[in-house]
This record gives sequence, structure tokens and C-alpha cells, in this order.
Amino acid sequence: MAYFGNNPQRGELQELYADLNDLNFEKKKEAVKKVIAYMTVGKDVSDLFQSVIKCLEFNDIEMKKLIYLYIVNYSRQKPDDAIMVIQNFRKDVRKSENPLVRALAIRTFGCLRVPKLNEYLIEPLKDCIQDDDPYVRKTAVLCVPKVYEVSPEICPPLLDILQKLLEKESNALVLANLIQSMREIEVVSGKQIINLNQKIIQKLLLAVDECIEWGQIFILDYLATYNPQDSKQAEVIIERTLPRLSHINPTVTFCAVKVILKYLDFLDNGELVKNLCKKVAPSLISLLSWNQPEVQYTILRNISLILQKFPILFENDVKVFFCSFNEPYYIKYEKLDIMVRICDSKNFAQVLNELLIYLNEADPHFVRKTIKSIGKIAITYDKALDKAVSILAEFAKNIQSPTEPAQELLIQMQLIYKKSKQMYKHEDSLKIIYSIIDYANEPESKSACAWIVGEFGEFIPKSVEKMKEYIDNFQMEDRLVQLQLLTSAVQLYLKYPSQCSVLIQQLIVSAKDSFNPDVRDRTYIYWRLLSTDPEIVKNLVCFNSGTFSNFSKDLRLWETQDLVLALENMGSISNLFHKLPHQLYKNIKIKVNNQQEVKIYKGEEKPEAQVKEQQDENQQNIQKEQQQDIDLLNFDDPPANNNKNNNSNKTDVFELI
Amino acid sequence: MISSIVFINHKGEILVYRVYKDDITRSETTQFCAKIVATKENKECPIINIDGTSFIHITIKDIVVLATTKVNVNVAMTLQFLYQLVKVCRAYFGGEFDENCIKKHFVLIYELLDEVMDYGVPQIADADLLKKYIQEGGLKPELMNDVEKLKQLTSQATGATSWRPQNIVYRKNEVYLDVIESVNVLMSVKGTILKADVAGSIQMKCLLSGMPECKFGMNDKLLMQREPRKPGQTTTDKGITIDDLKFHQCVKLPKFDKERAITFIPPDGQFELMTYRITENINLPFKIMPVYNELGKNKLEIRVKIKSIFEKNLFGTNLAIKIPVPKNTANVSTNSAIGKAKHEPEQQGVIWRIKKYPGDFEALLRCEIDLGSTTNQQPWIKPPISIEFQVPMFTASGLRVRFLRVYEKSGYKPTKWIRYITKAGEYLHRL
Repeated sequence: MAYFGNNPQRGELQELYADLNDLNFEKKKEAVKKVIAYMTVGKDVSDLFQSVIKCLEFNDIEMKKLIYLYIVNYSRQKPDDAIMVIQNFRKDVRKSENPLVRALAIRTFGCLRVPKLNEYLIEPLKDCIQDDDPYVRKTAVLCVPKVYEVSPEICPPLLDILQKLLEKESNALVLANLIQSMREIEVVSGKQIINLNQKIIQKLLLAVDECIEWGQIFILDYLATYNPQDSKQAEVIIERTLPRLSHINPTVTFCAVKVILKYLDFLDNGELVKNLCKKVAPSLISLLSWNQPEVQYTILRNISLILQKFPILFENDVKVFFCSFNEPYYIKYEKLDIMVRICDSKNFAQVLNELLIYLNEADPHFVRKTIKSIGKIAITYDKALDKAVSILAEFAKNIQSPTEPAQELLIQMQLIYKKSKQMYKHEDSLKIIYSIIDYANEPESKSACAWIVGEFGEFIPKSVEKMKEYIDNFQMEDRLVQLQLLTSAVQLYLKYPSQCSVLIQQLIVSAKDSFNPDVRDRTYIYWRLLSTDPEIVKNLVCFNSGTFSNFSKDLRLWETQDLVLALENMGSISNLFHKLPHQLYKNIKIKVNNQQEVKIYKGEEKPEAQVKEQQDENQQNIQKEQQQDIDLLNFDDPPANNNKNNNSNKTDVFELI
Repeated sequence: MISSIVFINHKGEILVYRVYKDDITRSETTQFCAKIVATKENKECPIINIDGTSFIHITIKDIVVLATTKVNVNVAMTLQFLYQLVKVCRAYFGGEFDENCIKKHFVLIYELLDEVMDYGVPQIADADLLKKYIQEGGLKPELMNDVEKLKQLTSQATGATSWRPQNIVYRKNEVYLDVIESVNVLMSVKGTILKADVAGSIQMKCLLSGMPECKFGMNDKLLMQREPRKPGQTTTDKGITIDDLKFHQCVKLPKFDKERAITFIPPDGQFELMTYRITENINLPFKIMPVYNELGKNKLEIRVKIKSIFEKNLFGTNLAIKIPVPKNTANVSTNSAIGKAKHEPEQQGVIWRIKKYPGDFEALLRCEIDLGSTTNQQPWIKPPISIEFQVPMFTASGLRVRFLRVYEKSGYKPTKWIRYITKAGEYLHRL
């Protein structure tokens, strides 16, 4: 406690210097501790280098560790002084009978990272990799990537030793570190270093049973990147991995899930695949209720991937994703997301009932996302429309201020009406929505309101007055709102030509000189059309077809062809951000997926069925998605689109202008 | 792998800073401290990416434990490692983990950090094992010079049964088993069960000599189906369905996978042998039946009926039923036959406490709530009613320990003790 909070003044450094050189051992030790404390809070104590390393002559292991920590921290600043320590390290490595001291020396030696010192390190390191004591060996193998990072040119002999060790090492912990160490080198060098054969795989599988939890993770993580030669080998590896599903460390379980899921693709026995899925599912569900929210979060972020490739694993299990009241919001957001993805034509009622409860939560962001989710479900499943609109209308009744949820509600209601115009009658929803229309204060929600006023002008009392209000403020609105207002006002004009003629002129006057070219162009288009043939305009802007088939939004996150690679990286940072490794890290090479077709495991179908149509469907969905994106950005494109499909002769007019 | 491990206090000050790889600068970390920790943004997500550096962190009370990295590490493992690191620190600090003890023991923490991670790769991080060779103030010189002992130590640490040293001797051999079940329930407004599960844990305390081989058995349906039926014996107990089991590292997992037998050489002392999860046929010990009435603009009535559903000779203990009330509650009058109910404004609820609650028994609480006037027109958002309880000698899952056999070459017969207890996990009833 006493070490913190004081800044080293110049005098203090002097005092430390004196204490470090004091003959009294205790005083020296206290001084070393103080130096480390200063280092921790970020003060520069590198000037004391010589005095500190002199203290190494005492055979006190606690102090030795502190001094090593200091040396590692400053060796790059003082490479010439660091040379003086080399003898000490070499002595420890070669002469000490104590394996802890040998390991400590080689561990620290590797951390110096001064290129010109590394040549002194090679020989002792070779000795340590072949040491009798497994504790020294496990430390030494991790030292190789440290050296490789700084001086790769002197490392080839070391790499040979590592490969030999891989073949003959019998200690599980050393083997696990060895695999990890070689993988680190592979990352730095970009070359493949680990050469696997049947025998080594056998050894690794055996080591998984015997080594500590982290070691199990290294080995499983590595096995997940390996492609087995045939179905038989895949089966053996899966069989040996299965017991890990019962390990108490959730990461071990999760890595085991990863290995098993990845190797399923290589099995040619469909029955076995089914049974394995049955075994994996409960383990995975246990992880979802793991009592460390952070760990739970990482698992949840990977679920979308699993859902996409293995829908079979979570059949009928939407309940496990229900939110608890006391969970952190970052967990709730993920669960909400997954619930929407997992929602289908069978369980949508159950999901909607659950979402209804979340509308009562205190956090406005969360409520907003809930509303968005309800909207998504409604426009994806026709059958869900009635229920969703009832829920949203009921919620709208309680809105009394321009809250965030109110904005989202307006946006979602617009999308729902776009999908099915008839919904305005359901539970008087239009009337209720119209009563909160003044609470819109975001561009998206305002533009949604403008759309509603234009589209439902004849069902809304005083719609023209409302439009006038909007047009009076036209200049202040966002571009998005302005564009929608233009279309909606024209729509209204066509419905009530006499009442709106002044209004439309006012609008054209204020919009024709807009700085925004989109707004200006649209104004001119409407202006010209209205002055030539209002009938054409009617077909352009009045959209009455009733339903929109384009709305079944693709909820898949990953491209189908990326699934295999994403699966290999399950649990990693890139997956957490829903990206492939090379998309997040520039130094990682793009790994090409050799499998032509990606297997999707569905419950009803035969698991081994190659789902080719799935890909076609995916293609279509991508197209749909692109269309939908346009819908969302540009609210009056749907009529235009619709027009293109149904009245091609009218489109020509549009294109001519 | 990991570039550095940092302990940070809630103000964003660095308490411990250990670098494992060269690719990160201190200023990147201080930026994270200033931007994220000091603004409490870290509570919003356990992983934050700033300019290609990932900050993976957990928060324990006021302390942020952070791992930084620039490569694509396994996040689940990193988080697990951070938790393990805190566990190790607690084991050394007598269960504490706060700013004071971190500052007090910083030398020890550096020593531990040097051991539990090397080049950003997690290493041995088992507190009992670490204590054998890392102690505050340095090791005894006898050990440091006894090469034989050291060899034994390193071979244990790197061996296949790293959790148990050789040559343990007890005069009296004893085993204690605790079966602890937490029941999680979520009931809808109407009282239907939305989701229910039991998260169980079997804690063991072993005071056993030598290298004992233990075999543990419970009324697991899958196991009992495998066992040959003895002639003439008719068992009514068909066993229970366990969704999932997770075991301590000492349990031989391949053997469990093949034969569903739980065999192990236990660590010395206390440990968690296994955890399990059950979702079928759960016996909920309590049923809550709330009725909520608005009696007027400023008056509410909440009636809560509670019923215990377990045998008469058992007792529930330390019940605490939390009935949420609106923020603007001015006065609450309560009426119940047993226990004490009190409005606790800081908890925003009425807490009804009952020390001892008999089995198969019904009790009723009636709360009348007067509301103060408020300008806030928002309707009250009703959180769920929650309940805490313990029921000793009861398992919600119906799990029973059938046997625990101990084989040791000296052939001793240990004394075995066993306890069962069921507790409330998240036991919620929506209002």
C-alpha cells in the first residue's frame, strides 16, 4: 500500500539508488519492490538498471523474480546493460539443480527481445527443450516463438528439435504447450510447421485426457483446424472428443462442441450424425445458462452460426433463450436477436408472448429493440401479423411522450402497413398510431409518419391539415423526410385535388431550390408529371396492391460458403464480431473453403442431404435483401418497383424523364 | 495470444500491469482506462475493440481484470482464464479481492502472473498446486535445496493427476458430500410455468489417506437402465433424467462416456465434484399465487398466497418473498398470519420473511399500498415477484446418492456423511 501514490521525485530516485547499493539485504529487497511499484504506475525507473541487476547476486528467488520482471521491462531500452545479465541466465540454466530456477531463467531469457542477445540463447534453449524435467520442457517450448518473433533467421535448428519432440514427447502438458507454441510460430511466419501423422494425432487425443484444462483447449482448438482424411478418422477423433462435453470448464466443453460439429461434415453415417447431435445439444444448452455472464455472452454470439448450420440442435428450444429479469443487457440483446432468428411459423406465437413481456422493461433501448423484433416477426410470417399488430397497438396506447420506443413503433407500423395495408383496420390500429404521430422526432420515424398520412389520407381525420403542418416545416426536415413528404403530399393531392392545390404549390416552391439534388430532382419530376398527366402520377405514387412478398427477410447472418471456416474459428474474436478472421485481421491469409457444398443439418430432413436448393434460396434471399435495403432507405421506391413489375408501359414514362 | 494482463480500479487507475507480448503499448491501455473504465462503459460489453486491439475484461466488484490482445484469440478461454486468475488471487488472499489487498500483495501477484501465464499462453493456474511452490515472502530454503522434493513437485504439477500429491495421511478417513440444488423458475402472470430447471452441484470434502479410487453413483436413469436387475428385486425407483453433467477434472471422462460410471481420484480437501442440469419432472417446492388489484387512483392491493409442496416433516427455512411496489409508494400496511412483512424502500418492494415454513402449508399476505402523488404519468412497470428459500433434505430434481465407494490399497473404510439442500435460484413469478 505504502508503495503507491508517491511520485518518484529526483530525490527519490537517488534514495532508491542508495538503498539498492546498500549492504543490508532487507533494505535492498525493499528498494527493489519499490522500483517495481513505480514501474507499475508507469514511472520511468530505467536509470537504475545497473544497480538493480547487481542485486541478482543474492540467491533469493522472490527477489530474483522481481529483478527479472524489471529486466524484461527495460531490456530493449538498455541492450548493452542487459548483456551483463546473460551470464547469470546461462549459469542458472546450466548449473542449477532446481528445475524451478532453470525454468524461470529460460522463461525470462526469452522475454528480453534484444536481437543481438538471442544468439547466446540458442544453446541453453536447446538444452532446456531436452531437459529431463517436464516442467522445464514445457517452459522451454514456449520460449521458441519468443525468439522466433525477434530473430527468425537463427531458429531453423530449434524448429527441427520441436518437430522431433512432437513425435516423441510423452508428457501431456508439454505436448499441449508444444502445439500452441508451434501454432504461434505458424501465425508469425505464415508457414505450416506442424506436420501431423496418424501417430501424432493419436498422441494428441491421448494428451487431451491427461493435461490441464488450458492444454485441452489448445489441442482441441488445433484439431478444429485439421481436416481428417476420411470418415473413419473423423469418427475416431469425435469419439475421443465426446467425453470432453462433460468437462466443468465451459471453454473445454465449447471447444469440444466445435471439434465435433466440424468433423460431422466428414462422416458418412447419417444415423451416427443424428445421435451425435443429440449428445451435443444438451451440453451446449448448459453453457447458455453458465453463471459467468461474460462467458455466456461469447457463447451466445456464436449461436447464430450454429443455428444456421445446425438448425437441428435447437429444435423446439426457443425457451432457453428467454431473458431473465436480472441479466445484464448485453446478454438480453443477444437473446432477443437469437429469438427472432429461431422464430418460425410454428413457434411465433410463443415468441411474441414472450416479447410482449419485455415491452415492460425499463431500458428504452431494449424496448426499442423488442419492438423492432416484433415488427420483423410480423413482416416475416403472415400468420403473426394479427397478433403483432395487437401487441404494438396496445403498447401505443400508453405512449405519452416522444420516447425511443415510440420512434421504433412508428417505423415498424409503417413496414407492417406496407406489407399488408389491410392491417390498418385491425384493432383500430391506424387510429391509435395516428394519435401518437406527433411524437415522431427522428428522420426515420417522421418519414414513416409522412408515409402513413399520404397512404391513409382518406381514413385519417384532418389529414390535409396534418400535411400542411409538415410542409410548413419542410426546410428544416432531414432529406429522408423531405423525399417522403414530396411523395406523400402528391398522393394526398391526388386524393383531395381541390383542398391540396395550394399546399402542393407551396411545397414545390420550397423544394425546387433545395440544395439536395435528390430532393430537387424529385420535385421537378412530380411537378412536370402533374402538369402533363396526373393519371401517370397516380400509378406512380399510389400503391394499392395490398401485400408485399418481398418482405420475408433473410435472417441469416453468415454467407453459406463461409460457414465451415467460421465454425473452425468458433469462440474467437472474429466470430464474436460475426466476421471471418481475415476480415478482421489483415495479416491472416484468406483460407479458401475446399468443400464445394456446405452441409446444413436440419431436423426433418435427412442430415446428410446436401442442401443445394438452400444455396439457391440463399441467392434469392440476397437479392431480396438488396431490394429490401432499398425499401428501407428510400421509402417511395416500393411503388416504383411495383410499378415496374405490373405496369411496364408506365415505367417507360418514368425512365424517359 | 494475450499481450498483457492488467488490474484496474473503478477510477481507471492501473494497479497491476504485466506485459507478455511486445505488440501493445502502455498508452493503449491507459486510453482504455480513461475512455471505457472511468466512464463505466465496460459494463456494457465484455469485449471492446479499439484500433485493432481487443480488450477482454471482467469486473469483480470494483476491480476490472483486463486481458489485451491483437490476435484472434479464443475469447471464451481468455474470460475463463481471467476468472481463474481471480480465483487464484482469492485463494491466496483469504477469499478477498479488492483494491487494498491487490496493493498490499502486488509482489505476490506479479509472481503469480509470471507463473500462470507465459508468452500470453495460460499455464498452471490451480491455486492448491501453485501454493506448493509460490508463497508470499519466498519459499522455505529447505524446499529450494531439496532436489528430490522439487522433482516430485514438478512431476506432480505436469502429470496426469496434478490435483493430488502423494503421501497424504489422515488418522480418521472421512468423506462429506453435499448435494445443493438451485431451482430456477419463471412463471407467467397466469401461473403457468414458462421455464424451469434445476442447476445442481455436488460438493465434496475428502479427508482421505493415500491415493483412493472413488466410485460415485446416483439414481441416474441412464445408469440404472444399464445395471443388471438382481433376481427377486423389484425397484420402483426408475431414476431421473439428467439433461447434462459437468465434472471436475479428476473424473475420468472417457469412462463416464462409455459406461456412465463416475470414477475419480479426488483432490485433497474441498472441491466441486460435478454440476448437473435437469429440466424434466421438477418438484417445485413452492407455489406463489399473487393477485393484484388497483383499488383507486392512489391505492393498490396485492395479495400473495404461498403454498409449500413437500412433505410435512420437512421445513423450508429463511424464506424471503419480495413483492415489488411502485416507486412512489408512500405507505404499506401488511397483514399475514406468519412471518414478518415490511416495506423496504431501498429494495423497492415489500419483503415478507418467514424463518421456518412447514411442508404442505398455505399462507397468505395482504398488502395495501398507498401511493404518493407523482408528476410521472408513466404506468408502473411491474417487475416479477421473487422468492428466496432453502429446503434441507429435499431435492427438487429427486436426485439421490446411491453409493460412494472408496478403494485404497491399505483397505480403510472411511466414514461418509451426506446432506441435501434445495435453494431458490431465480424463482420468479411475473406480476
